[in-house]
Amino acid sequence: MDDYKFLFKVVLVGNAGVGKTCLVRRFTQGLFPPGQGATIGVDFMIKTVEVGNEKVKLQIWDTAGQERFRSITQSYYRSAHALILVYDISCQPTFDCLPDWLREIEEYASSKVLRVLVGNKIDREDREIPTHVGEEFAERHNMYFLETSAKESDNVERLFMQIAEDLMKQARMTNVPRYDSNSQNINDSSGQESSCCNRLT
Amino acid sequence: MTYLMICEALIRLIHTRISFELISFTLAIRFVSLTLFIAGQSRQCTPHSHKNQVLLPLITCAYWSIPATFWSRMATDLNYVEIEARCLQELQQLKIEEENLIMELNSMVNQKTFIEDKIKGLSFLIPKLNVMKNEAEDLVSTVNDISQSSEKISGKIRQLDTARSHVDECLLRVNDLIDLEICSQGVQQAILDLDYEKGAAHVHRFLSMDQSLLKRTANDMNSVSNMLKSVRTLQEAAAQLRAIVEHRFNEAVNNEDLVSIERFFKIFPLLGMHEEGIKEFCTYLRTKVAITAEKNLKSAINLPLADKRYSIVYADTLTLLFEGLARVIDTHQPLLETYYGPGRLLSAVVILQKECDSQIKRILLEWSKSRQIQKKLQQITDLSRMSSSASFSKIEKSDPKDLDILIGEITLMHFRCELYIKFVQRKIMADVEVGIADKELKEKTLKQLDQTILNSVLSQCKHELLSHYLQLEQYFMEESVAKAINMDILETSQQTSSMVDDTFFIIKKCIRRSISTGSLDGICVTINNACRVLENDYCSVLKARLRQGYPSGYLDLSQAYNVLQNSIQGRLQTGDTEQSRTAFIVALNNADSSTEYVTALCDNIMKEIETSCPNMNLNERGKLESCLSGISAVSASLTAIIEYGGQQLKSTAVKPRINPWVDTFMNFSHQLTEDELSAYEAGESFVQTLIMNLETLLSSFKEILSSNNYDHFLQVLTAEVTQRFEKVIMKSQFNRLGGLVLDKEVRSLAGYITSGTYFSVRDQFARLTQIATILNFDQIDEINDYWGNFDGAITWRLTPSEIKSVLNLRVDFKSDEIKRLRL
Ligand SMILES: Nc1nc2c(ncn2[C@@H]2O[C@H](COP(=O)(O)OP(=O)(O)OP(=O)(O)O)[C@@H](O)[C@H]2O)c(=O)[nH]1
Ligand SMILES: [Mg+2]
Repeated sequence: MDDYKFLFKVVLVGNAGVGKTCLVRRFTQGLFPPGQGATIGVDFMIKTVEVGNEKVKLQIWDTAGQERFRSITQSYYRSAHALILVYDISCQPTFDCLPDWLREIEEYASSKVLRVLVGNKIDREDREIPTHVGEEFAERHNMYFLETSAKESDNVERLFMQIAEDLMKQARMTNVPRYDSNSQNINDSSGQESSCCNRLT
Repeated sequence: MTYLMICEALIRLIHTRISFELISFTLAIRFVSLTLFIAGQSRQCTPHSHKNQVLLPLITCAYWSIPATFWSRMATDLNYVEIEARCLQELQQLKIEEENLIMELNSMVNQKTFIEDKIKGLSFLIPKLNVMKNEAEDLVSTVNDISQSSEKISGKIRQLDTARSHVDECLLRVNDLIDLEICSQGVQQAILDLDYEKGAAHVHRFLSMDQSLLKRTANDMNSVSNMLKSVRTLQEAAAQLRAIVEHRFNEAVNNEDLVSIERFFKIFPLLGMHEEGIKEFCTYLRTKVAITAEKNLKSAINLPLADKRYSIVYADTLTLLFEGLARVIDTHQPLLETYYGPGRLLSAVVILQKECDSQIKRILLEWSKSRQIQKKLQQITDLSRMSSSASFSKIEKSDPKDLDILIGEITLMHFRCELYIKFVQRKIMADVEVGIADKELKEKTLKQLDQTILNSVLSQCKHELLSHYLQLEQYFMEESVAKAINMDILETSQQTSSMVDDTFFIIKKCIRRSISTGSLDGICVTINNACRVLENDYCSVLKARLRQGYPSGYLDLSQAYNVLQNSIQGRLQTGDTEQSRTAFIVALNNADSSTEYVTALCDNIMKEIETSCPNMNLNERGKLESCLSGISAVSASLTAIIEYGGQQLKSTAVKPRINPWVDTFMNFSHQLTEDELSAYEAGESFVQTLIMNLETLLSSFKEILSSNNYDHFLQVLTAEVTQRFEKVIMKSQFNRLGGLVLDKEVRSLAGYITSGTYFSVRDQFARLTQIATILNFDQIDEINDYWGNFDGAITWRLTPSEIKSVLNLRVDFKSDEIKRLRL
């Protein structure tokens, strides 16, 4: 049945209408849904991907951008391994709200969470946020940055695969220190012995 | 023919070759003779002379085409004998060829008669063929005739068909005409008689006629004026009736004349005014709903504070509104279906929904005002901002107890909204299922239903209620748990303190309450919040208490604990070992008991959700399970905390006591004589003292530790005792009797510890028992009874070299014999 090695929770946040649901559907179902209604509360989708021969299960939480669902969506930040913060490159207000979103993330999410900034809808002609502006913002706030189009399927696969790879790398790293602490113990005890010897001499 | 070809070839040769003057005399001669020969041949064999006429000039031509220089050169340069010989040779060859040709020609001549016979036979057939040709032509003309006549017949049939359909149409027209006449006559009378049902029935009949057909009939008829008059009459009557019915309906509405309202409601569809009828009627129903709702709201606002239902009066008002609407829908649906046909419920509900929306808005406004919702929510957000920056205890805090009632009311309100929406969806879906056959239209209608609900104020209010609920519930949970932790108290003779029961009571209460909202999102969020509170606020307190460590000493648990609780605000007094010891033990017990609570919580929640939301789809279930898995994470944290506590106990309570007790083993001699043995056994032996000491230690923990923790403690202790014991044994020396005593002592120690627990400690004693067994050997080679690959051989926990070191502890065993052992 479920023979995955890693399970990661990925949560998408950002203003209403920036295309979070479209990004998720493009990635999980390979389609661009026509007449996509606003998300109510939070949606849940799963996709298993393969990273270097390992199965990785991505649990994707697509939150509603509308204000009245905030108390629902906030509760999912804490257990997130990765947070994707989305804005619409053709809509300045969605970019201007990013600091508010970051404040929320700061308040509710784990400090270790992987944070990715995504400028969506690059297929549109009426761009308002130049790429370098988004890039600089991401850099300033220590986030990954990517521009996507859910409509044209640009960078969508890459976005989620990059996250899966990074989280896996992270998970492996946190496994390593356990061995380290073991070896440290051994070092410690040998240190004690040597200090004993020191005292004897 | 062959002659001609040969001649042509010759001429071509002559002209090409000879003109280049490269030809030899022999060749020239051969040409001449060949030509001559052919000429002779043809004269001989062919009866037709015209061929000779062709050949003759050829021959001359062949002769003359050889230039004169050749003839002269021939005379001078060449030897005649040689030429003659060659000529003869050529001649010979030509003769052979001649014979071949003759044979061919002969066989051809022989065939001639045969072929001539055949031709003659064929010419006899010609007249017969002519006969056949004539007959075939006759046949073709017959077939043509037949096809033409059948064409004619099918045309006739087609004409018949059209005629029949004309007749049908005619009948219909006649019927229509008759009815038209009757209707036009009847309708006026009916209107005059105020019999609107009859009039409408006439109009209905008129409307059911094919209007374009009527127009055609009018064009076909002589007495056009008559019919047109009828049509006009009816059209006028219809318009008149429509106006009358609409007017009378409104009149009835104004007069509250229920009978007339229903009467005219039924007439609308007869006049083809389905949508108008539904609109008028539902608008009327709206006013009824509005009046009741207003009355209900007013009485809610004026309800005295002392009233029993004061705390949920707005939920009650909302319920009354929904129940009223549901009743309206339920009672009028059959009427609608009977007179308007199925599939029209959505139109009715859309109109009613407008009233629902405006009423719910007013109710929520009053509710929000009366319950000071905005203020309370603002307070909560302010508090969360404060606590993250600094501790401003000055800010007025809502008592979670006060919020409790309000949260209960919101839950109820949300649930009612959810219920009403489900009711409407169910009703309309059933109606569409029966009433609309067209698949596309059905889908469109259902989509319209979704949109109607999604865009309704009702849905928005529902979302808002859920949002309020979640904010308040989260605050309630956090504050109540904090309170439970602050007011933590240990009752006498209890192993856990009040914070465990209290916290899990609160958590369970909140989650159950979220289940009663009827919203899966609400449930999931509350579970998420519960996990956060448990991990961040609750587990961290337990961990902090364990981190203080466990100082040794003896204690009266409950007393010390309560002192500790009282002094917790005023910082712990150092050296107050009793208190900190109790705090430690209780924290450990709390953690243990919490794991059981968590497991039970998980099971119960799942069961309760399954009964209250039985139709979860796969996606919803996945969502819920993912959130529930957060609770298992709490379990893992608790287990880690218990493990941490066990380690703390080991280093402070177990090790420092056990080690000196076990070390006394080295104060005894283990090389005994028979007399010494009896003296030892008569007195206070090592193991007796050890057991007595352990007994005191264990009994002090047995009462205060929870049974799981006690088992855990016992395991930690056993491991420590056996390891230490092994160490001191390895530092001692034994004779036969010393080994015997040790074996006995190990057995009684194992027996003692086993008796105190459900866990099997045999495993932990395995090494020690094996060491004692070896030291109890009579002879070295007794080891062979135990070591090896046979039934009854024991599974050794000691390595061969360890066995040898143990054997070496026996002073009476020779070390070179031990060395020689093969293991
Ligand atoms: N041109 C273009 N339009 C897009 C793209 N992605 C989404 N949209 C459109 O943007 C609108 C909103 O998309 P959603 O995916 O519903 O937005 P959302 O972020 O999920 O909105 P909420 O659920 O309300 O938070 C839809 O009309 C989409 O068709 C894109 O890459 N290019
Ligand atoms: Mg969405």
